[in-house]
Amino acid sequence: MLNMMIWSVGIFLELLLLVRGYQKQLYRQFPIFYGYFLFVTLVDFVRIGAYRWASIHFFQVYWVTQFLSLAVGSGIIFEIYRVALRPFRGAARMARCALLIVFAAIFAKALTIPSGEVFTWLAKASIELERNLRIVQALAILTLVLLFLWYAIPFGKKLKGILFGYSLFIGLSIVQFVLWQYSWEQIRPFWSYAQPVCYLLVIGIWVRALWSAEPHREVYPNAQIESDYELLMASTRGQFRKTLARLGWVARA
Amino acid sequence: MIPGFTFVAVAAFLALLLLLSTRDEEDKDYDATVTRKRDRLGSAHALPPAELALRIFSPKDREFIRLTHSPRLERLFHKERRKVAVHWVRQTSREVSTIMRHHRLNSRYSRNMNVAAETKLFGQYLELRLLCGVLLLLIRLFGPHALSNLASYAGKVYEQLGRAMPDAGPATHYGGSGDLAVP
Repeated sequence: MLNMMIWSVGIFLELLLLVRGYQKQLYRQFPIFYGYFLFVTLVDFVRIGAYRWASIHFFQVYWVTQFLSLAVGSGIIFEIYRVALRPFRGAARMARCALLIVFAAIFAKALTIPSGEVFTWLAKASIELERNLRIVQALAILTLVLLFLWYAIPFGKKLKGILFGYSLFIGLSIVQFVLWQYSWEQIRPFWSYAQPVCYLLVIGIWVRALWSAEPHREVYPNAQIESDYELLMASTRGQFRKTLARLGWVARA
Repeated sequence: MIPGFTFVAVAAFLALLLLLSTRDEEDKDYDATVTRKRDRLGSAHALPPAELALRIFSPKDREFIRLTHSPRLERLFHKERRKVAVHWVRQTSREVSTIMRHHRLNSRYSRNMNVAAETKLFGQYLELRLLCGVLLLLIRLFGPHALSNLASYAGKVYEQLGRAMPDAGPATHYGGSGDLAVP
């Protein structure tokens, strides 16, 4: 009963978010995010249908749709990268390079698994596989967030809300999966409520952020700076060299 | 063990996100053109003059105070000079941060950004910050003359070593340009 209630509130909030997005035409600014939401809402109806009329197949339906949601959800990370870094071509270049290194490192780690064991790994419990994929997503977000902080990328309330909500969702998912793996017996009574409640929290953050009337502010690149990069680099290097020399005088004094 | 590590990692991840969400975006549109104009004028990053550094860390004043044979005056001098030295290093460290901040706020727009050069520059920035940190620690622990004391102590040890090994004295081994001379 409680489960159904949480589920219904979740669907209501998803519909609210979609309607608001349609009214304010936010889907034009964040097409992947709203596409994901449309998909998730449809998935919820499919799950309800399976739960009511084909309960013996519910778990198969649940895991298949869960992996599809995970794959579509990865697009949100791309959307955050695309919208936030659109005017900042230099920072976007750095982000592409950093993400490439992160994914290459993960790929290299995967290659260390002997080929025969790859299928065993894939065939392992779905929860473990989902946890690993969530960790990959978390690493990608972490890389982006560090670059956003370093380059002082302005967000605006909406994009910040999307980023914070999705990251919270991933963080909470990882914690849940680890708990599931290590203390299944203790968390078994709460497991069926934990994930939907966390999802409600996340969707609440998204509704609040995207309800704002404040338009997403566009930042336009400065043409002069684009052409002056070499000059900028030379100037910064020169100033660093001077500072290093000054610090060297301390020892020579 | 693993759940504990995961919780710490997730907590750190969420704290970082919280930092991002509460970040003051006042300076989000830091006017890059203004920064560049200030760069050209050279007034934005006016570092403390070199003479100041030489004077703060020079042992000359200390020698002069020693001539007064007043322990109270010496104590006062050390206390004040330490404060001045700490202030100078902190100011230098702050200016290094400002230089880097101006650089990254300008370079973020640049289409032809060189990732390798940026990484190298970041390394130099870390090196400078680390140097300032080490210098601060040394000043706090041993006073502003710690480095020159250390250098002169090393020199003395080197001389003593030279005297202990007359056949291979330091002067014959070390060339003026820093290259090893052929004995």
